[in-house]
Amino acid sequence: MIDLPVAWANYISMGIFIFLGCLVWIVPKKAVIADRPITDRWRDLRIWAMVLIALQLGIYWVFS
Amino acid sequence: MHSLDLAVIIGYLGLITFVGIKLSSRVKNAHDFFLAGRSLAWWVVGLSIIGTNIDTNSYVGASGNAYNVGIAQANFEWIGAIPAMIIASLIFIPLYWRAGVYSIPEYLGLRYNQGVRVVAALIASVFAVFALGVAMWALALTLETYLGWPIWVGILVSGTVVGLYSIAGGLAAVAITDSIQVSIMFLCGILIVGIGISDAGGFGAFATTLTQDNPNHLQAYLPADSEDFPWPGVILGLGFVLSPAYWIGSQSILQRTLGARTQWDASASMMFAALAKTFIPLLVVFPGILALVMKADIEYPDMALPWVIKNVLPPGISGLMFVAIIAALQSSIDSGVNSTSLMITRDIRHVLIKNHNPEKDLIVGRYLTLVLLLSSMCIAPFIGDLGGIFTFLQTILSLFQGPMLALLLLGAMTQRATPMAGLWTLVSGVLVSAVLLLALEWNLLYVAFVSFCYSMIALWTVSGFTEKLSDEKLATLTYRPWSRT
Repeated sequence: MIDLPVAWANYISMGIFIFLGCLVWIVPKKAVIADRPITDRWRDLRIWAMVLIALQLGIYWVFS
Repeated sequence: MHSLDLAVIIGYLGLITFVGIKLSSRVKNAHDFFLAGRSLAWWVVGLSIIGTNIDTNSYVGASGNAYNVGIAQANFEWIGAIPAMIIASLIFIPLYWRAGVYSIPEYLGLRYNQGVRVVAALIASVFAVFALGVAMWALALTLETYLGWPIWVGILVSGTVVGLYSIAGGLAAVAITDSIQVSIMFLCGILIVGIGISDAGGFGAFATTLTQDNPNHLQAYLPADSEDFPWPGVILGLGFVLSPAYWIGSQSILQRTLGARTQWDASASMMFAALAKTFIPLLVVFPGILALVMKADIEYPDMALPWVIKNVLPPGISGLMFVAIIAALQSSIDSGVNSTSLMITRDIRHVLIKNHNPEKDLIVGRYLTLVLLLSSMCIAPFIGDLGGIFTFLQTILSLFQGPMLALLLLGAMTQRATPMAGLWTLVSGVLVSAVLLLALEWNLLYVAFVSFCYSMIALWTVSGFTEKLSDEKLATLTYRPWSRT
């Protein structure tokens, strides 16, 4: 445990976010849009999630 | 203190009190008081979530840690929050919303049994009273430091201001004042970054000085043998257990999402909060790093933020920053009293008092809010003496995190978890945590992960031998979006 390189932590973090990014698209659109009309694409919260994940990937890439 | 700073502080206190009291006319019943009549927009709820989440420790403590360890402190806002917030937004909030519950203990009561509901509410409530006392003490201490007010005056003024709007206006007042408070915090954060980098000679000079003197301060993680934040512990304990347990199980956080006007607003609010959370390090981590770059002459790391306020910010802006610290505390106190009042009113009173009158929930809730505020005001001056008890309660609370997360995860995501298995897992999981933490003296982050793993296995196994809920009940209490299409 002691000898694990710090760089691994960044790779694992990025891996977690990439995995989460794939999982997000398993959630059906109907469940995400819920009770709002499907008129605006920006209301799809899966896209919001992807923006957040992209930001996190950038952060862990820059501070690695 | 400069007169401009004082004017900013008085103006802020007046504005918050006015807005809170004005919203009190909306409150007609317990549904309005505890869930804002389900009327809140996603951005109000999102900002309120952040206001509830940030406290003085986030400001002063995180800045101090950042002074010591650098950007690694920001993991509490990134890997230690964002994945759990995305999962909460897409899976758990829609589930709680459809179940029509007021609280997370109420959901646990429906999914498992009333014993789990009362235990969860009781633990959270007892801890909350002491946490409120600590927050009130910190607020009074801040007022004493910057304004020279005696501690008792600080406690009296803060308690009165928070009490006026939270007792009168309920969750709506709390959420809307929170959103004003968080906006002030972000404004101050941006100003500190702008002024600080400018004073340090521009971004190039800032980055060069930091990396030359402290090359490890721009690394996201500390080594695996770090005593405080070993990176495997941060990912396994914080990322996989403590953070999800908080973001999908904290009543004070999730209550405002249940007050959103639609299910979409509730989910969107958590995504919006996650976006704001991504930039929280600018508020709470950057000042510590700035103090380091500017070679602040401070005795200990927690002095980093006060040093920045005093030496970097001009009059008026330093008053606004002071307001941001008051706001961080007030938003945590108001959310704490409102959510604890809800848990005692509904999750404890409704279960333990069989002939309770639900019509009286509003009046009981308001009285309890007052009692909780007064209790925290009474405890606050003695918090130094009670510090040991608070630490003990904090430890007790942490023992529940792993088992509670297992109950929420398997309870929400599968139909296998049974009421009896839930109760036994909760009890045995806490015992496992206690042995690891108190007898074997493991790091808390590893205790959280191992007790969570144990609880998942125990709940899954025992559920195979015990009776589950009816399919009809499970249909509304488990996440099954594919079966509804």
